[in-house]
Parts: sequence; structure tokens; C-alpha cells
Amino acid sequence: MDRFLFPKWVNKFVPLAIGVALVGAAYGGTVLFVTSSPEILNRGYRPEQPVPFSHKLHAGRLKMDCRYCHNTVEKSSHAAVPPTATCGNCHSGADASGATPYASVRATSVALAPVRESLATGESIDWTRVHNLPDFVFFNHSAHVTRGVSCVECHGRVDKMDVVQVVEPISMSWCLECHRNPDSSIRPVDEVTNLEWGTDMSEEEKRVLGKQLSEELNIHPSTNCSTCHR
Amino acid sequence: MSSIKPQNDKPKYWRSLDQLEGTPEFEQFLKREFPEAVEEAPTGLPRRRWMQLMGASLALATGAAGCRYPEEEVVGFRYPEEEIAPFSRRPEGRIPGKPEKFATTLTVAGQVCPVVATSYDGRPIKIDGNQMHSLVFGADTYAQAMLLPLYDPDRSQHPVFRDGQDLSRNWDEFTVWWKEESKKLEGGNSSKLAILHETNSSPSVLAQMNEVARKFPQAKWYSYDSISGNTTAGTEMAFGKKLRPLLNLESADIIVDISSDLLGSHATQGKNNSEFAKRRTPENGPMNRLYVVESRFSPTGTSADHRLAVAASQMASFVAELEAKIDAALEAGETKEAPTEKVDILVTAMVNDLITHKGKSVVVGGETLDVETQVRIWRINNKLENLGKTVTFVEEPQLARDNAGSIQDLVAELNTGNVHTLIVLGGNPIYDAPVDTDFAAAFDKTRAQIFFGEYENETSKLSTWHLPASHGLEQWGDAIAYDGSYCVTQPLLDPIFKSKDPIQFLSILAGTPITETLEAVKQTVATTFTSSASEAGWMKVLHDGFIADSAAEAVSVSISDSLNLGDVSTTAWRGGLENAFELIFHPGSATYDGRYANNGWLQELPEPITKVTWDNVVTLSPKTAKEIGVGQGEFLAITANGKTIEVPAYIQPGQAHGTLAVGLGYGRKMAGHVGGFEENGVDPVGVDVGPLRTSQTMLLATEVEAKGTGKQFTLATTQDHFAIDLLGMREIGRRVGELVREGTLEEYETHPDFAKHVVHHPPLTSLWEDQEWMKESYDGHAWGMSIDLSKCTGCNACTIACQSENNVPIVGKEAVSVGREMHWIRVDRYFSGDMEDPKAVTQPVTCQQCETAPCESVCPVAATVHTNEGLNDMVYNRCIGTRYCGNNCPYKVRRFNYLDWRASDDRFDAANKELAKLIFNPEVTVRNRGVMEKCTYCVQRIQNTKIEARAERRAIGANEIKVACQEACSSQAIEFGDLNNPESNVAKAHANQRAYAMLAELNTKPRTRYLARITNPHPWLAPEVPDHGHHGPGEEGHGEHGDDHSHDHAEGEHAEHKEEAKEEKP
Repeated sequence: MDRFLFPKWVNKFVPLAIGVALVGAAYGGTVLFVTSSPEILNRGYRPEQPVPFSHKLHAGRLKMDCRYCHNTVEKSSHAAVPPTATCGNCHSGADASGATPYASVRATSVALAPVRESLATGESIDWTRVHNLPDFVFFNHSAHVTRGVSCVECHGRVDKMDVVQVVEPISMSWCLECHRNPDSSIRPVDEVTNLEWGTDMSEEEKRVLGKQLSEELNIHPSTNCSTCHR
Repeated sequence: MSSIKPQNDKPKYWRSLDQLEGTPEFEQFLKREFPEAVEEAPTGLPRRRWMQLMGASLALATGAAGCRYPEEEVVGFRYPEEEIAPFSRRPEGRIPGKPEKFATTLTVAGQVCPVVATSYDGRPIKIDGNQMHSLVFGADTYAQAMLLPLYDPDRSQHPVFRDGQDLSRNWDEFTVWWKEESKKLEGGNSSKLAILHETNSSPSVLAQMNEVARKFPQAKWYSYDSISGNTTAGTEMAFGKKLRPLLNLESADIIVDISSDLLGSHATQGKNNSEFAKRRTPENGPMNRLYVVESRFSPTGTSADHRLAVAASQMASFVAELEAKIDAALEAGETKEAPTEKVDILVTAMVNDLITHKGKSVVVGGETLDVETQVRIWRINNKLENLGKTVTFVEEPQLARDNAGSIQDLVAELNTGNVHTLIVLGGNPIYDAPVDTDFAAAFDKTRAQIFFGEYENETSKLSTWHLPASHGLEQWGDAIAYDGSYCVTQPLLDPIFKSKDPIQFLSILAGTPITETLEAVKQTVATTFTSSASEAGWMKVLHDGFIADSAAEAVSVSISDSLNLGDVSTTAWRGGLENAFELIFHPGSATYDGRYANNGWLQELPEPITKVTWDNVVTLSPKTAKEIGVGQGEFLAITANGKTIEVPAYIQPGQAHGTLAVGLGYGRKMAGHVGGFEENGVDPVGVDVGPLRTSQTMLLATEVEAKGTGKQFTLATTQDHFAIDLLGMREIGRRVGELVREGTLEEYETHPDFAKHVVHHPPLTSLWEDQEWMKESYDGHAWGMSIDLSKCTGCNACTIACQSENNVPIVGKEAVSVGREMHWIRVDRYFSGDMEDPKAVTQPVTCQQCETAPCESVCPVAATVHTNEGLNDMVYNRCIGTRYCGNNCPYKVRRFNYLDWRASDDRFDAANKELAKLIFNPEVTVRNRGVMEKCTYCVQRIQNTKIEARAERRAIGANEIKVACQEACSSQAIEFGDLNNPESNVAKAHANQRAYAMLAELNTKPRTRYLARITNPHPWLAPEVPDHGHHGPGEEGHGEHGDDHSHDHAEGEHAEHKEEAKEEKP
């Protein structure tokens, strides 16, 4: 049998095929680039939690301070998800004798069943991590909140979220933006958990105040690699 | 013009005989940064072993928790979902993510070690020394490595009953079985019970032993340690009491160490090192002088001002002559004229020094010396009025039952067939009992054997029951330290496996099980130390780890008048062994007596002197090797007591002629997947020398025959790796003197800054310094390090500390032998002088954090960059593994991770792999395969301290940050801190006259400075201080020391030197 050869008329499709390949590659590349960017991957991530805890209710309407629950944020790199005992301060259910404490809130709520179970058994509630960083990044909460960088700078208006979601890209370039020009992200240290703060100020006002505070506190964010990668 | 004269062909300094002789193997190491076939995984048989090794500690130590996400977990492109599991109730004071430290006590290698264990979110990640305790300085190498077994999947996980087959059981089943068994042993039948234990150091364990004895009144007790010394027997004979000597080296001007290895394996080495080092810095007062008389080269030998090699079996003769000479000199006064013969000069100088420093000298005898010799040494000290001054004594605590028999007694008893049940508490007598006792046969004559220990081993495999013991970090307990102080062991976590602590185990045997060991310990405290029994007192004990002021009072001693030490020839030692050989059995540097054979950290740690890893060798002097006709690495057939074993030979310059020395604890067949496990096809590491040890020759065998076999063995030594060479082989000897600089006290006094003038170079200018971006100001912090070579003994504690702190993997023998070891800090060891009587010097080398780092300029992806605080950062997640940086590093301190250990390890199931991850320090990235890594001055500690200090609005203390190697160093040779803070120790050290930078002539501007080593030789034996200003270029390197000092100060000379240097360096 003769060798198989493409018929001549196929030739005119060759430029077309090359064109399609190029356009396809460009399209694929763009899609890959865009979809793999932290902007797309991180922003808007809002996993479901075992207990439908509402920050909007607790931090927003009830005006509870962030540190009531995240009480290690000023001392540790972790802003520790609170132990169930913290929830139990208000939401403890009936005790062994069946008596419910007078101050217990929603002591029989179905949504709070995992909390009561955890309190009774001593087992953890397995929350899903919302804001995540790769293991080679070492972020320290205490280093930021004790220098006047508010929760809101990275986590957004959590006090307005029923379900917490990621609002910032949390990428390295985004971190560096602030590390290079920290002024407009610095506020008085006692206002760090006041997410409302500064909503009535202009950007310029914030920047001027931030600059002044940075000087007072001698804030020079480092951009050395080992600041975050060790 | 060439300045190299023919006599320079023979290097003045050398690292190994391979180098001295210029063998092809060494040449290859010299030529290639990454020697031989590094791209491939090992092939053939070694690969099999390779795979086997990947378990246990290897899986632990390498990238199991890599910095990249495991693929199967990735959801689309996003990070895998992670769960956060907070406590239901968080313990008071616990802050997630903040490490906590607990003082506790481990019994390690026969010694009680007060330690501080760091716990990260409930899991121990590091062990350091407890610096509050008066015996602890820095950290013990073994104690630091005890972290690894905690997470070793090879550790026994549950009780095993062996009745023809291995049956996994639980503790309840054992308790039921024991109830039945103990019924048979009740009353008069209790004589059918025998109990064998190791030396006990715990009062609470003794209390439980007494409980067991109460239940079984006629049970027989035996005690056995494979390695034990004669110190107590010596004091008993000399002073009539069982005593422990405590040295006070700081007040000793003259120290004579007679094979006691004061700074190495000695019982109080931490304290010794610290006190010795305080007297080794000439700027801080008068220096001491150390004479070492030993048979094999020890770390103390490297630190000696004068060292004399005497065969171990002739040490008695040497001590007899020393005593005779001291007696004579005490009568006639010191000798004024130096004798002519070299050994005579040394001995006469020693005697002169001793008698002129009465009450301020000390002669220390090693515990391996025979009792009479030890007594003689105490008598010498008595004559020199040292007792009560430089050496004090405390009484040995009574922590064993009275009349505990020896292993020979036990075997005799077993052979009568009267023993039905044998309980073995720890140890491994089947492996290490004296060969003449035939312990295994006697063991078999019992009906039931119970073995209690952390690991399955040769003994447990033959026992009816194996009961797992808890790790030291999993249990309550107590121990009496060497100085008599009462130390407490507290658990950092519940037992990971179904194990029990010794107190619990004994209480089960006694039929009154204790569930809370804590109560038993508190009981002991309440009965002995009432003041610590209160709640507040107990909290303080737990905080400190020991009861303050509980150390035993020094007792005054008087030497017995009725000593009859017999006649010992005072001249025999001078003749040497002639054609006879002796064989020393010493604790294996990695394995001790075999108990740590499965510890990969220790196995891969180079032996301080030979630098051999993953093996034991028989060391012998070059002359002896020549006589026998054996070469380096050749199997030597050693015959003693009618048995022959073959051990690879290692030619060790400086060893006494005729002395062969071999490490114990190797050749384990049932140690585990690292140390050897024949059942699973894992070959033993090293050779078991047990067959040569009889009851009479546990430490030293004489009448030994040795001959070469012609069979060659590959030894994995690290000493030729990462060779720094400037102009190749011909120059290296001359140049080592530039890397490691040393001089005598006299030289230092004449020219305090001689170390700065060892190398002369043209003015250093940079090609790029004019560039704006090159101008680093370092006006914030400027981190720096200093390493004092006068204090370093090369003990390796820093290497282990770094390994633990920085998640440094171990790689196995095959990888080490091709130069792929991963230690971030290595300890270089150089010999100088005569091959038969060399001097040695050690130098720890780690990343020097060059301000103008050659590695940075060649990285194509900016994975290694400089910080404005002067650190040479390594960004692992950027690294693509070109290894250019490693090639361009003149210090050879960068390490490359060639293989991914986790991918191929299929022997351990997922649960064990999870277990293995727990050892990692979460503050340091776990590096993946294909990534360059290196020291960054423990940047995680710097960052955390900075964050803490700034949160508290305070400045960082001058010496607040301590890096891992610095913490572990018992002689405080390493200092770290901010060079911009003049108060810091490191800034002071950099300003020291002795400070010099290694390879400064390359304009790397290293941040680590070394302080030149100063020795204090006796004037008779001191090399002449180089005559300055007369030598031309060709005359460099004169004198014994050979460190080419050209510290001339005339300007004209300087200029001339610069000219020469220019011509030398193309």
C-alpha cells in the first residue's frame, strides 16, 4: 500500500489550524492565569461552618469586641479560634441535672447542638479555616494588631457578614503593598478592633494620622524575605 | 613568581590521611562540589538499603510536611480545605501557637540529665539543657537526640505475648497473667523469681522495688550495665567510702587528664567544659594548662596543650612513674634543666607544673582505669593538696537494693534451674552480656521471661512478655543527679503508645497498681523534702525541674594510710606495647552501648575525631597499621578470647601504638528500621564487638591478635566533604592555617592581634560598591556571630541542636558517603604536626552571612537575598535547585536536598507518617526535595523576639536572642547578637584582638568572626614565637605550628606583602 498522504486541499487549512492553535493557547493561558490568581482563588471563599455562627450578629449588632473570642490575637501569631467554653459562657445548655442556667441564650437551639455536644464531651468543634496561607508563610497577628493595623485591613467588615468570606486577595503582592506604604493602614492601637473606625474620615486624613502614628510607634514594616519566609 | 617552596608540598595541616597522602578519592572530593554521580539515586544493592532506611527517623526528619501541597488534597487551584480544631476548654495560660518550656529530667546514657523540653501546641519539639541546674551548661548531645525516639514508629506500641508466635496484647491481659504467675511465686516460692535491672537513679523506682521485694521476699535482685567504670570502687579503696568526685576546674591552673576525657564523655562534662573554657581566654585572666594522657584521641585531646599517647594497659605504669616523680620533686624541688628526650621533657614539665601549683592543680583519672591506679591518682592529688580544693566529693546515693548481684551471679543462679520467672527491667543482656557467661543459654532455662523496655530488642524477642516502657517525656518520675540533687521528671504528653512508666510497671508487679505516678513521686518528695511538699513548694519543683539546694553536701575525705597498691613498674609504659596489641571497648559515639542504635540523628552525627558516620571502626595508629599491614577502611580481623571478628580499620593519628579501639553498640540485629532489623531485611549498622568481651575484658582486652583481611569497606566520613581549597592540593595545608588560626599564649602576649595578620591581601575593592543599591547601611540591627576556637572542643552538640531546631533531615550512609549530608553546621577538624603525635584543632563552620555574599549574585531566581539586617536570607519556595549558589560559596555551607524521602516510603502506614510529622519545628519551613538550604542564624528566633519586644514597646536585650547552636554549646564558644549594640557579647567578641574573619581576602565581609585559638604550652615545649620582619615569601610557614604568621608591622613590609599577594593570586 502506498504511504498515506494528506490530500492537497488540506493545505489551505494549515494557516487556519495554526491560527486556531495560537488563539487557543492564548485563551487557555489567559484563563489559567486569571483563574489561578489569588484574586480569583481567594476572594469570595466562604465555606460552610459546622455551627452557623454569625459575626454580623455578635460583632455587629451586639458590638462584642473581636478579642472576646479571639483573645490570643495580641499575644500569639494565631488569632486562635476560641475554645467551645467561650461559646458556652452564653450558650451552655442544660447541665447534668437538666437545669438550664438562667442566663443561657438559646439553650435549646438546634443550630447550637454541636456547641453543647462539644461542651459535654470535651471534643473539638471542627471549624473550617477561611483565611489560609501556605505553610512557608509565617504571618503573625500580634505583630500587626499591637502596631495599629486593624482586623478590617485584611478581614474586611466581618461585623457585616453572616457567613465570613475572604474579601482581600491575601497574595504576596497585596501584603507587600501595605508593607511598602503602611501609613494609610495604621490607626490608634486602641481602635484596631473597632471596625467602624475611620469610615467618616477621608483617605487623606487617615494617611496623615497614620503617618503620624507610624512615626510615634517607629513603624518600619520590613520587606526582607525572612520577615515572612523562614 | 612562585612562593611555594618544595617543603610546602607536605601540608602543615591535614584533615585525614587521604589528604596527607593525596589519594584519588580525596582528589575527587576536592575537585567536585557535588562528587560523583549526584544526579542519580543510588543503584544496586545500596538502593535496597536506602529504601529501608527511609523509615523511622528518616521519614521523621525529611519533608513529610512539605512546603508544597500534597497534590491529592488540592481542590482545583485553591488551597486544600483545612480544619481548625480548638480545645473544648483551653487549659489556663495556654496560648495556641506559643511554645511552652518545661523543666524535666531524662536519664540518658547512664547519666541523669536535667533538661528543658519545648512543647509546641502540646507536642515536644526540642530538648535543651536545664541551665538552672549547677551541673548543666549547654546541652548534652545524647539528651538532645532523645526527642527522635519519642516519635519513632519503631518504638514498642503495645504489650506482646510470645508463645510460639507474637501475640499483640493489652496491659489488662498482662495483669491477669501476672496474677496467675505471682500465685505460683508466693511465699517460699518467691525464690524462683529473679529481677535484673540497670543502675537505678530514681528514689521512687527504688520505693517500688522495695514494694515488689515485700511481695516476693525471697526474690533475687541483680544489676547489670554493659558500660560501667571503677570510680566508686576507687574512692572506696582510697577513702573508705563510696564517693563521687566533683571537679572544680575553674580554680585549677594545671589539669592533668589521664584518659578521663574530661570535656567529652566524662560524667560532668557540661560543667567541666564551662569551667575549663573560662580559663582559656587570655584576655580574661591567666590561662590554665591541660595535659592529656590517653590511649585514643578524644575531644579533650584536641583541646590539650600537651598530649601524650600511652597504651591503656600501661596507664598504671605511667601513673606509677608520675607518682614517683612527684614524690621526688616534692622532696628535691622542681627540675630546672629541661631533659633532652621529648617524652621526658613532657613528663618533667608536667611534674614541675604540678608541684608548683599545689592546691591549684588536679589530676583526673578516667573511670576505666583499674582501681589501684585510681587510688594512686587520688594519692597524688592528696600529696598535691588538691583534695577539697579543686576536687570535692559527695556521697554516692543508695539507690539499689542491698546485695544486688552481678550478671555472673544471675547466670549462675539461672543455670541451677531454680529460677522460674525472670524479669528484665531495661537493658539488653542478650546482646551485651559478657560472652563467657553465655547468657542466652541461661536465659532459656527459665520458664517465663518478662522484658520491660522502650524498644523491642534482642532480649525482648526471646522473652515471654514484652511490655513497652514510656519515653522520658511521657512520664512522671524522679532521679538523683550526679551531684546528689533531687530532679523531677514531668510528662509533656500522655504516652503515645500503650506504654507504662517504670514506677507503674513495678507497682503492677507488686500487685498494687498505681494509676497516677505523680502521687508516687509526690510521696517520695513528701518523705524526703518536707519543705517542697506544700503546693507552692511543689510548683517550684516543677518549675525548676529539681529541688534547689538538694545537692549533696561535700564530704571531707582523708586518704587511707593502709594502702597497699602493689609494685607497678614505673618504666614499662615507656617501651610501649612493642609487638603486642590491646583492644579498648568504648561507648559508641552514636549508640552508647547499643540503646541508641535506632536513632538516626546520632547515627549520622560524625564521630568527633574520626568523622565517621553510620558505622563503628577500629582505630589504630599509622605505625600500628603499617606493622599489621592494614589500610584505611580495610577489614581488620581481631582475635581475642579465642573469637575473631572483622571490623573496618580507621587509621587514627595520635593513637597509642598497639592500641586498637572500637565502639560498642553497633551490629544490632533487632534495633529497628534504622539501626538494623534482620527480620525485615535491614542489615545491622556497624559490627557487633560483643563476642570479644568477657567478664574480665569488658573495657579492655589484652593479648589481642590483629591482621588485615584485604577486604575493603566504604566508610562514610564527612571530613573530606565540602573541602575549602584556594589553590588546590599543594596549597591546602598552608592555607588551612589561614582558615583556622592559632597561636601560643606567648605569641598572643607579644602580638595580641597576630590572628589578623595571618593573611595579607591587597586593598579590597568591590566592582559594585559604587552602585547606590549596594550601599546597605545596616543602621537597624546587624546580626553577627562569633566562635571562639579556644573554647571549642568539637563535641557536635551544636550540630544536633541545629538539626532539631531547623528540621534538618538525615540522609543515610550511602548519601553521606557521596557528600550529601545535610547538617547546616559542621565541625571541621584539622590535624597538624607529626603524623604519629599530631595536634588537633576543631572549627565549627556554618553560613557566615557574608555582607557581599557570592551566593546571592549567582542565583537566577533571587531565592537567596540579603536583608537590611545583614542576613543572607534563603527563600525555599523560590528556589529552583540550580545549585549555583552552592558552587559559588567559598565556605561550602549550603546543602542540597537530593531525594524526596516521603514518596517512596511505603513501610509505614499513614498513621505512622502522621506521627513522624510531629517532630517538626513549626517555626521553620520543612524543605522539599530539590531545594538549597542553609543556616540563617535561626532567623525564626530573631523574628519572634523582635515581634515580642516591639509588642512590649521595648528594645531587644543585648544578649536576648540565643541561636540553637549557641544554646547547646557548653563552653559558650558561640556568641550571637546585634553588632550595632556595643553591650552585646558578640560585639565585644568582634572587637577582641583575636577576632578574624575566615577568607576575608575574598571580600565576602562575613558576619561570623572566629577568635583565634590560644594554647598555653609549657615554655620548654612551646614553639618559638616567629621571628618577625626577616622572612621573605619563600620562608613562610616555619616552626612547628606552621600558621604562617606574617604579622610584621613595618609599613614597608606591609606594602611588600601586598605585592606578593597580588602576584600569588591571579
